[in-house]
Amino acid sequence: MKNRLKVLRAERDWSQADLADRLEVSRQTINAIETGKYDPSLPLAFKIGRLFGLPIETIFDDAQA
Amino acid sequence: MTTAASHPGRGARRLILAGLGLIFGGGLGFAVGRLIKSGVLNADGLGWSDLAAAAIAACLLAIGLIIGLASFSRKATGRMIDASEARPATAGQQSFYRQQAIVLALAGVMMAAPVAAVALLGEIPETMGIIVMLGIVAVFLVQTACNLTVWRRGDELMRQIISETGAVCFWVLQGLLFLWAAAEKLGLAPALSAWDIMTILMGFYLVISSLMSIRRGMA
Repeated sequence: MKNRLKVLRAERDWSQADLADRLEVSRQTINAIETGKYDPSLPLAFKIGRLFGLPIETIFDDAQA
Repeated sequence: MTTAASHPGRGARRLILAGLGLIFGGGLGFAVGRLIKSGVLNADGLGWSDLAAAAIAACLLAIGLIIGLASFSRKATGRMIDASEARPATAGQQSFYRQQAIVLALAGVMMAAPVAAVALLGEIPETMGIIVMLGIVAVFLVQTACNLTVWRRGDELMRQIISETGAVCFWVLQGLLFLWAAAEKLGLAPALSAWDIMTILMGFYLVISSLMSIRRGMA
């Protein structure tokens, strides 16, 4: 699944580790999501949406799924 | 500032790790060879699964030792988490890595203990067998508790990798075990001992676990 996590993170000048701390996951998890190697669970996707103040569907795109 | 020039690249790090592995493996091989030559260890009574289990145990102990030692340094733990950022790890991250090191090292101890007992004592007296077995059960209980804590403290990606590894191992090995058992029943394959099967399972689990980690970008 494609996502805009890297762009949203860069807009806030956060590192992967910064975002990982805010979401209470490991830095590897952020990297895996950004590179499309892992699709987050629904609770984590909601958490990401709340953190960026955006609806989930504007962050994640399942068109390629 | 973190630059490519100030820290060794991925290739250099792999070379360093390979070098450390060679030194550890060479040292261990030399020590075991000397013990066999001097008659302290008796390798004659050991089968292929004993030797494979000893090799797996050595790997687990070495990895556990390296991670365990690194976990005492905030900087080294930070490098294990993210080599590119090299941000010092928090106390929580240090203890998490230390716990994983304990799990690995204890797994190594448990795998090595029965083989070491046979290699050292040859024919094991019943009392000694019971003592070794009680020690293994005690280590097993501690290791299981540590394993559960690692699962609880891990995030969802880590749990996903553990779950997928378990699922693949069960799916593949139950099929292979059935086929082998059928062939054995029909007199087409030699019988396997419980230790043989355990060694195959453990080796397969470690390979699949590594592949799953690479697939999810963890390695």
